[in-house]
This record gives sequence, C-alpha cells and structure tokens, in this order.
Amino acid sequence: MAKHFHEIRDPIHVFVRLTSAEREMVDSRAFQRLRHIHQLALTYLVYPGATHRRFEHSLGVMELATRVFDVVTRDDNLNHTLRSELGELQERREYWRSTLRMAALCHDIGHLPFSHAAEKELLPNGWTHEQLTAALVCSDELRSIWNKRKIQSEDVVKLALGPKELPKERFSPWETILAEIVVGDALGVDRMDYLLRDSHHAGVAYGRFDHYRLIDTMRILPSPPMEDEEQSDGLALGVEEGGLQSAEALLLARYFMFSQVYCHPVRRIYDIHLKDFLKEWLPAHMFSTETDDHLKMTDTEVTAAMRLADRDSGHPGHLHARRILRREHFKPIYQRNPSDSAINPEAGRAVFFALCDKFGADSFRHDRYPQGSGTPDLPVLPRNGKVASSLALSQVLDRLPAVSIDYVFADRVIEKRAAAWIDKHRDEVIRPKSEEESHGQAS
Amino acid sequence: MDRLHKAALITRLVQALRAHGSWCGETHIQKATYFLQELLQVPLGLQFILYKHGPFSFDLREDLTGFRADELLRLEPQPPPYGPKFAATERAAYIQGIYSQTVAKYRPQIDLVATQLGPRRVTGLERLATGLFVTFDAAAGATVEARAEALHGLKPHVSPEEARAAIHELDEIIRQAETLAC
Repeated sequence: MAKHFHEIRDPIHVFVRLTSAEREMVDSRAFQRLRHIHQLALTYLVYPGATHRRFEHSLGVMELATRVFDVVTRDDNLNHTLRSELGELQERREYWRSTLRMAALCHDIGHLPFSHAAEKELLPNGWTHEQLTAALVCSDELRSIWNKRKIQSEDVVKLALGPKELPKERFSPWETILAEIVVGDALGVDRMDYLLRDSHHAGVAYGRFDHYRLIDTMRILPSPPMEDEEQSDGLALGVEEGGLQSAEALLLARYFMFSQVYCHPVRRIYDIHLKDFLKEWLPAHMFSTETDDHLKMTDTEVTAAMRLADRDSGHPGHLHARRILRREHFKPIYQRNPSDSAINPEAGRAVFFALCDKFGADSFRHDRYPQGSGTPDLPVLPRNGKVASSLALSQVLDRLPAVSIDYVFADRVIEKRAAAWIDKHRDEVIRPKSEEESHGQAS
Repeated sequence: MDRLHKAALITRLVQALRAHGSWCGETHIQKATYFLQELLQVPLGLQFILYKHGPFSFDLREDLTGFRADELLRLEPQPPPYGPKFAATERAAYIQGIYSQTVAKYRPQIDLVATQLGPRRVTGLERLATGLFVTFDAAAGATVEARAEALHGLKPHVSPEEARAAIHELDEIIRQAETLAC
C-alpha cells in the first residue's frame, strides 16, 4: 500500500514528516539542489563540522513553522477579537497550513552557491536570492505541484519571503503573521532552525535555547502599545509571559552566534576570497538569473572550478582559489574597538583606504557588517492580560548589544609592515575630517 | 548619502522630534523619516513600503539598529506595557558636528517635520503618513474625497471622517513643504 506520509530523520527535530505532496516538492530539482548548497558557506574551513546544507535546514523550517502554526491558531490560544480579525484563518485553516509548510520548504531555493557568501555584487543590479526564490516558485515545474493541490504560487511566495522582500505586494494582517512565522525578525522559525542547526554542526553551544518552551508559549497578539494610553493597531507574533525567558535565550543565542561564528574573522575573509574568485571565474563576472542556469549551479560546480584554478596559474581566479584551498587567506590586521569607534564609527573604512593608498589596494580587504535586525520589541502577554512590550518587561533584551564588525585584512606578504604602519599612524588615520576641512582641502 | 551623513541627519531628527514632544518610538521615527525623504526630498536612500502602521522602511530599521551598535542612538525602556523610546547620544552630537554643513543644509526640513509630527501620536502619524502614501499614489490633482476614500480603504479602522480630516491636515503640511522648497 502506498504511504501517504513520509519521515525523514533529522539531528535537530528527530523526525520531519512529509505528505506525498510535500515529498513531490522535496523531489523537485529546485529543492534537491539545496543538497549541494552549504548552509554556512566556507565556515567548514574554520569549524570543520559545519558542512550541513540548506536541504535539511529547509526541512527543519517546515517542521518548526508547522509547530508554531498549530500552537498560535489553536482555538483556546485566540481571543474573540483575534478570531474576528483573522477571518482568513477561520475560513481556510487547512489551506493556509499547507501553504505555510510549502513556503517554509521553498524559502531558500533561490540561494546562490555557498549561500550568502557570494550574493552581493554577483547578481545583476536589483536582483537578490529572494527574487530567484520567487521566480522558481512560479516556474512551470513547481506550478504543476501547486496546481494539483490548489495552492496559489503567489501565496507561497508571500509567506516564504515576507513584506520586506516584496515591497510592491500588499499583505493582509493574516498573511503578515504567517510570513512572520517563517522569516520574522524576532521569532521567525528560519532563525530558530539555523541557530539550533548551525550550533549543533559547528560544535558550539551558543546557539541552543529552549525552542520547545518558546514555541509552546507563542501567541498572535496585538502589537505592544507605544505611548501613554494608546493601544497599538496591528498584530504580531509574541509570547506569553512564561515564554519570555525562552525568547531572551533565542535572542542571546543570535547575539553569540553572530559574534562567535557568523562573524568569525577567518570565516569572513574566506567569504571575500570566494567572492573575488567568483567575480573572475563567472561569465560576465556574475551569476545568471535564468532559472535553468541557477538550478545547474551549486557549491559542487564552484568547488570543482576552484580546484582547477588552484592548479593552473592561467585559470581565472587562480590567486583567489589558492588563498582558499591552500589556506593562504589574508589576515586580520585591524578590527573595531570601542576607543576607535568613539572617534569614528567607520574607523575600519578609514584604515582600509589609508592602507590602500600607502601599499596598494590589492593587498587589503575591508569587511563591515552592522547588525540589521531591529530591536526585539515583541508583544508579551502577562497574566493580567494587558499586552506589553518585551523591552518593558525584560531586563535582558534592552541590554542586548547589536553586533557590529569592522575588519581590515592584509595579504600575509605585507601583513606585518602594514600592521606596524597602522600602529604608528592610527590616530591621524581614523580621525574623521569635518566637512569644512574636507572642502578646504578640495579647494 | 553615506552612512555617517545619514546618521547625523537621523539622530538630529530624533532630537528635534523629542524637543517637540514626540514619544519617539520606532514608529514615530519611521513616519517622520518618510515625510523627510518623500515629501521634503532629503536624499536618505531608504525604501518605504506600506506595512502595519502605514509607510515603513526595513532599511531604516537596519540603520537604527546599526546606529545603536555605534552608540549614536540608545533605547530608553519605558514602564510596562509601553515600548521603548529612542534618544540620541553624546556621540551623535559629535557626528553632527563633523557633518555640520549637511545638518545645516537640511535643518529647515528636519524642523518642519519635527514641528508638524513631533506632537502627534501613533494613530495620527499613521493617518498622515498613509495619507501621503495615497497622495503620491493617486493621480495628480486627486480630490480630498478620493484620497480619503483610498486612505479608508487601506486602513479600514480609520473612519471616512477621520480620513478626510487627515487629508486636510496633510495638504496643509504639503503646502508648507512647498513653501520651504521655494
């Protein structure tokens, strides 16, 4: 007898269960390609265990999205007002549950080889991997899967990408909540899964938090009020008061994973060398946005090309491939510190340009990453029933620093000389010039 | 506009909003910045979309977090149940000093926005900012009635009367902005 449910073993969630329709999606070319896209790009060169792929992450996101959906839409977790505001939930609960699961599966299918590492500068102007995801979801191959199940591909795109990536789309409150379940800034399951999974594979404990407790306490709530006696309009994903510590743990996990793993300086310089390699190796110096080309291009093709380039000095990208494969990466010679940041928040940029002027641009790379996600101002439902801002109730969240990195890397050949020069000239290099001074010099 | 020039202007806006009585949570800054860029043509390079409380920029949210990381802005938690306020730091004043010409150039625009929007609460800001959004979206010369209807359509919790009043108020702000541009 044919099975209607399928089970996949998973190191984080134990089992991920799929319907036959979802299995068809998993078996599609777009999803199978994710078996060959490393979740953390070249991080395995620093943390050898971090060889996991977007394939299992996407399955994990589907699993967690379903758990959250089932909790927040449970009848006893919705009050009367919410039920009336979320008419779409009442009318088509099963439709939205299936669509959410599909969206969670699809949310990463547009990723370029090596995930984020190579995205910027390697796509034509205005393109992002999210747009590639949208194009693939609406492709003929996947459309046939949606059509059989009466799922609208546009709904899958909306829930997989959210309002941030689809500025021209209008989202209903219900669609906004569903997209928030997948890609939300504070409590999105994409983030939950990658923190748990990345820490597991990297072999670090920083990313762990009690996601069982967190999910069990998640609720759809009115946004926290912002001013005296004014109740905010709009709904958001939040937690019951009993889940606040688990939410704190998630946000602390994010902070530690960013500061210790994702922003590790050697990992960051490998990303830059990879980007340099791709710029030289790719035809037209960027990735194609044609879906067929995209489906053919994975980490495997890029790695094979790097190995060729490493052995052949005439191959495009030879130098950069060597830097990666022979571990001849540039070394950090400057990094952000509180004293310099007080003088110039963009001190690394100033140092980088000064070094390029002095020694030549080829020997240096600059990497600046200010944390993008917002303050974790999520609604919390206390026992008195009056929704409050998490930042008003938590003594942890308002003290949580935002991650901000600013590195300058140097070729090993010049590293010591450059570091000595910067030590000597640091004060004058990082001091920002006022506009009066700059204009005076220009004239 | 590079990041530090933008920091000088946004932190200056935060100070001006607070000086005019704004609560100065993220939503207040979002709406004020929308007016500053879209109506008063201050080139901050932000993309705005229609979101929960009207026009909203994820780029600006990222900038605000980045400015906190650089200690140019700080959060002031409020007693439950309220969300936090933003405040500019001493370091922001230092950056504004370095980019004093840019701050001086856009000071009239910042002052106009702060004067007009600073005293308003979130509900009022949502109506005005969404009103401006529908005004840009509407055909040139669209009537108050047509724009009020569009505003009510986007935000059904804003009654038609409230929408009309908001569009009238908005038109007065637009008139002042045009005067400033002359």
